[in-house]
This record gives sequence, structure tokens and C-alpha cells, in this order.
Amino acid sequence: MKDKIFGVLQRVGRSFMLPIAILPVAGLLLGIGSSFTNETTIATYGLGKVLGDGTILHALLVIMNKVGSAVFDNLPLIFAVGVAIGMAKKEKEVAALSSVIAYFVMNTAINAMLSLNGQILENGEIAKDVLEGTITSSCGIQTLQMGVFGGIIVGLGVAALHNRFYKIVLPNALSFFGGTRFVPIISTVVYMFVGIGMYFIWPVVQNGIYALGGLVTGSGYVGTLIFGLIKRALIPFGLHHVFYMPFWQTAVGGTMEVAGQMVQGGQNIFFAQLADSANVAHFSADATRYFSGEFIFMMFGLPGAALAMYRCAKPEKKKAAGGLLLSASLACMMTGITEPIEFSFLFVAPALFVVQVILAGSAYMIAHMLNIAVGLTFSGGFLDFFLFGILQGNEKTSWMMVIPVGIIYFFLYYFIFKFMIKKFNFKTPGREDDDTETKLYTKADVNARKQGNVTDSDKNTKEDEISVMITRGLGGKKNISDVDCCATRLRCTVHQADLINDALLKSTGASGVVHKGQGVQVIYGPQVTVIKSNLEDYLENAPEEEEIPVAKETAAEETKEAEKEETKQTKVVKTITISSPFKGTAADLSTAPDEAFAGRMMGDGAVVTPEDSVVRAPEDGEVCFVFETKHAVGFMTDSGISLLIHVGIDTVKLNGEGFEVLVENGQKVKKGEPLLKLDLDYLKNNAPSTVTPILCTELEDNQKIRLLKEGDIQAGEALFAVDIYE
Amino acid sequence: MKEFSYVITDEIGIHARPAGMLVKEAKKYESKIVLTKDGKSAEATKLMAIMSLGVKCGETVQVTIEGADEEAACEEMTAFFKENL
Repeated sequence: MKDKIFGVLQRVGRSFMLPIAILPVAGLLLGIGSSFTNETTIATYGLGKVLGDGTILHALLVIMNKVGSAVFDNLPLIFAVGVAIGMAKKEKEVAALSSVIAYFVMNTAINAMLSLNGQILENGEIAKDVLEGTITSSCGIQTLQMGVFGGIIVGLGVAALHNRFYKIVLPNALSFFGGTRFVPIISTVVYMFVGIGMYFIWPVVQNGIYALGGLVTGSGYVGTLIFGLIKRALIPFGLHHVFYMPFWQTAVGGTMEVAGQMVQGGQNIFFAQLADSANVAHFSADATRYFSGEFIFMMFGLPGAALAMYRCAKPEKKKAAGGLLLSASLACMMTGITEPIEFSFLFVAPALFVVQVILAGSAYMIAHMLNIAVGLTFSGGFLDFFLFGILQGNEKTSWMMVIPVGIIYFFLYYFIFKFMIKKFNFKTPGREDDDTETKLYTKADVNARKQGNVTDSDKNTKEDEISVMITRGLGGKKNISDVDCCATRLRCTVHQADLINDALLKSTGASGVVHKGQGVQVIYGPQVTVIKSNLEDYLENAPEEEEIPVAKETAAEETKEAEKEETKQTKVVKTITISSPFKGTAADLSTAPDEAFAGRMMGDGAVVTPEDSVVRAPEDGEVCFVFETKHAVGFMTDSGISLLIHVGIDTVKLNGEGFEVLVENGQKVKKGEPLLKLDLDYLKNNAPSTVTPILCTELEDNQKIRLLKEGDIQAGEALFAVDIYE
Repeated sequence: MKEFSYVITDEIGIHARPAGMLVKEAKKYESKIVLTKDGKSAEATKLMAIMSLGVKCGETVQVTIEGADEEAACEEMTAFFKENL
């Protein structure tokens, strides 16, 4: 049960990633737009001529500001669609459409209920006795203020309906409405009732949320500390998105009146104030306490930890460790993506992670205490710091306080990490024992290989190689139920959790693997989206077992345990084709009118009945021998296959009559060069058959024959293939 | 090591089909079985090699058998040659 909940939460969390991904862009537009339309900024920097009222740039910036706001204003709808897409298993576009419909249906139903009960008056105004902020306008519909929760309720519900019904079969008369078409229909009906239900339920929930929000707000600095600790501690489980989102986006994180509107959620309040920054003296640190502290440990603290790890690395490994840690630090400082650094020590030294949680958690509180109010869109990197801190001015954000505190944090992290690494001999990057194969080594190895191969085809095969390894590590294609990713980790659901091979997954460059029940997270870092796309492409085109019938049959009989092994063994590593030595009719060897050949006693291959009087070299190679009776040729191809071309059946008895030899023993020939000349009429009249077996006489156990052509065949046309298995 | 010689009586010699049978027979044993004719040798498990010896009727082949089951192999191979070749 616990595992199942984890699996669902994990999927909910990752379904947030698509809507969350729009926030940085929207924030950028809003940030730039509002900063440079701010009259104080323009006056301070003397930019009136370029950016003043009436200039084209000003108009453009106003548009950017409004466009950015539009995204934040409509986040509930964006979440509804995004979550539906994320949670739908297949035919995601149908779930997306259904969620839009359901969102409108639900809110309209609520609106109708509010009107019927007199909370919304006939002239569209809100009745006086309604609690301020509980009714709002969403996409032009006056409805209950449900915030992002409203969107998530729609997204989750529609996805559940979709997964349940998208394959539904209806009676013949209604079959047009079956399958995916049924999903918008059922969504409409269900969400009409959900809307009615929400009219009764939501005010109760709302009161609960306000109470919770009041509790968190009321608990002051301690509340901020607890929020910070929990958020950082959830990172390894990948559940932090589920946790912090309500604080950022809903009344759980507090409510505030901005420009005459009630705004809910820390991040929303910040951006509402930003849009209205002319009238705000200082942004609310009560609203930004859920994120302003992140700048302290992301831009300063964690890079200090990285420096400590670098300084503690063994001299011979400093270069490799330095590369890894430097790129991880840059990602953290610039964009606020902390996982690459955190995961470099999380798995090898959990104690260090405890330190990180405590230090980072306290940073939230300290930022709150110092009244630092720097907003962010996604995470606390320099880009957000610049836009929402520096550009907004110190008097509004107190961004300058981040720097001294940050420097203190840098040294705190540096010294604590260095002390603990040395004292407890933690195997952080660059400190691994030489005899064990380390993460860093393999990661660097994979990177080096990636970089070393510039040509496209090479690159593709390398990428595929990683995908192949990931697939194997996850227990084979059959075992993978679905694949997705968030900012830094590949999130998969598998059928059989015990088939997962952590070591193999780590060797693909992952810094860690987390599993819980059927959910698996493989942590790669920001490049995970590329890995995910490659893996999906690979899985889509991955050689289906059908292609190798032998493999399929045996694999079906094998137990699950052996499945991994099986795919390895039955992989064709090389295929050699053998061509027909003359024009004629090709057939399976078993059709040969001679038991010894048909029973594959001499070897495996195919038969061709000649219509042409010249026997030609089937491939480049060497003539090993020609029988004295001239009716058969032993041939060794340059690719190493021994062939016997035996013209006709029982032709040995003709004693060379009807044959003319054109080559000598040991002669090297090219494909198509004549070997023998036949008197076809004579052979037809004097031998039981002219059917000519072409055989591989020395097949190894891992070599299998696959007939490529039956019926009419030309000289030099591919006749059969020799598949060489691993 | 065991050894015997045999004069081929089959009128068409060790040709494809008999060679195939010989290989099949030789593969039953662990011992290494080698055919020699006019100074040229061929392992009895290698069809191409045997056929390239070009053994004809009336010619003598030397058969050497070496390995764990050479006793049994020698006996059986002698019988096989007499019967088939």
C-alpha cells in the first residue's frame, strides 16, 4: 500500500513538471517587463528617452509584462491540462482536450450554483456577505477560488477517467462515441457533478486551507524553518514538488491583498506585487519565505560543499572530480538545480546530506528573518536572483543581504563538509578506492565517450548503447511500464521490481537509483530529458523479439530471471550473407531430393536449381578444392564461412562428365567470377536432379542460417544469411 | 594414441555424402581423429578438410585417434570405415 502511494505521488509529482517548466519563461517576461516599465527604475537610470511612456520599447515591455502575467493568472487551467497529460497513460492528447472541457464545466457548474443560491447577484456582482477572496474570476467565469488545486483536481480526475475509459467498447448503435471519444463525454458529465459537489465541499476545504495557512503564517520563523527542512529532506524521494506547490500556489502559503485583489500562495503574491511594483514599498517576505532562502545555499552554500569535495579528492583524481563538481556547481549557481551536487554525496555519505538539510532548511528561516524578498520562478539560481532581486532594487527586495549571509554559508558548508569528509573518510567524488568501479569513473567514462565521438552515426550508436544498458538495467523492454522524467531523474514504472539491476543503471552515468515498489528513479542530472528522449526513441524502435524468432520462442519459455540473460545471448552481433552462384530457383534445403542433404547432415544452407550454365563465386573468397569428379566445389569466403557448392544430386557418378573446371585449387576469386561450366542438358538427362545444395559445412553453435530468398533468384543475389549470435 | 589404416573400397571414394557421415560419426567422440593420405592430413570433424583430401577408391588412408575415449573410438571407427567406405 505504501509503495503504491509512493508510485502515485511520484507520477503526480512528475506530471507537475510540464506546467512548472513554463514558469521560468513567464517569470522572465514578467520580470523584464515589469522591471523596465517601472517608473522609478526608468528615472533612476535616466532611461526616459528610450523606455519612457510612448516609446516602442515601452509598449513591447508592457506586452511582455501582461503576457507573463497571463501565464500566472491562468495557472489552474495550465495545471489541469498539464497534469492530465502527465497522468494519462496513452492517447494523451484526448486527456488534454477533456481536461479543458472538464475545467470549464466544473467552474460553470459552480458559477451556476453560486448564482442560484444568491452568492452571485443577477448583475454579476458578488453578494456582500460572501467572505472576501473566496470567489474569483477564472477564464471569465466567476467561480470559487480554488487556485491550482482546482486545476489539479480536474487533471487527476480526468486522467483517471481517461485511463479507465479510453478503450471502452459501446454497443454498435453508439460505437461512434466509443473509445477515446467517450472520454470528453464522460468528463463533461462527471465534472458537472463535481462542480455541484464542490459548491458544498470547497468552502469547508477552503476554511481548512485558510486555517492551515494561518497556522504556517502564524508560526512565523519556526514555520519557515520546518518548511525548509521538509522540502530539502524530500529531495531524494522526488516528492518535494508535491510538497511545496501548495505553499507557492495556494492559500496554504498565505493570502494577501495586492492591487485590490486577493492573491493566494507565496509565489503568486510575489508576482502580483511585482506586476504592481509601483505601489509596493517592499515585497512581502512572508510570501517569499518559501523560496528566498534558496539563493543563499544554492548560489553560495552548495558550491562551498563542492569546493570541499574537490579539495578532499585524491591528487590523481582531482582533475576528473573537478570537472564533475565544477559543472554541477555552475548548474546550481546559475539555474538553481541542486541535484547534481546533492546526489554526488547523498548516496555515498548520507550524513553529509543531513548536514545539507539542516543548513539549507535554516537558510529559508534566515532569509525570512532578514526580510529578504527575492522572488523566483523555478529555483534559486543567479538568473532569478538577477531578475527578481537585483533588478527590482535593494529597497524592495533586500537582495544585498543575501551576499554576506551567502558568504557565511559558503564557508560553513566548506568547513563542515571538509571536516566530515576527512574525519569519516567519506567516499565523495575523487576519493573512491581504486579497486572498486566508481560512479565518477563510469560517469566520466560515459561523458568522455560521448564527447569523443563527434560523427553523427557514432554518436547515435553511443546514445543507443546507453539506452540499451538502461533498458537492460530496468529488466528489459517487457518489464518497463512507462518512462518519464523530472528535472534531474528518469522516473520509470516497471512490472517486476526485482529485475532491476542498480549497478548496470549506475554504469550508464547515473549518480543514484531510488526504488520503491514498482517505481524507479534513476538520477542523472539536468541532461535527463535527452536521456529520456533517447530511451523512448530506442524503446519505440527497439528490436522486437519477433525479429529473432529463435529468441522469442526460447524467451517465452524462460523464467523471468533468465530474461535478461536471454536477450544478451540471442543478440545477433554479425550477419554474413551468401549469394546465389547462378540464376535459378531457390528453396529451403529441406526440399533437396536427397536425405543426406535435406537432413542437413553435411551442413545447413539452401538449394538452387540452376537455369544458367556457369557456376560463379558466391562471395569473395578462396577455392579450397574442386573434386576430381568436378561436380562440387569447396569454398572459403573472406568472411570466414566454409561453403560447399554441390551441383546436382548423385552427380559424383558422372565422373566429371558434363562439367568443366575454370579455376584451380587455392585460387582467390572475386564474387561473380566463373568457377565451373555446366552442360545443363547433359546433367538433366544423366543425373537424378540438378538441384544444387549450397551449404555451410562448419557452422558453430552460435551461427544460424536464415533463408533470404525463395523462388526466382539471380546470380549474385543474396540467398541466405548466416546470423552470428553473441 | 591408436592408429589403423584402411583401403577405400567404395567406388566413388570419400565424397560429400560419406564425408558427411564420417564427420557425424567422428563428432561422437572426445578424441581427436585425424585422416592422413599422401602426407596430407585432415581432422575427421572438418567436412571441408576431409573432402579436400580427395580420397578415391583403392587409396589408403591412415587414421589416428588420440584422446580419453580412443579405445572405443578406434573400435567404432574401424567398423564404420568397413561398413561405409
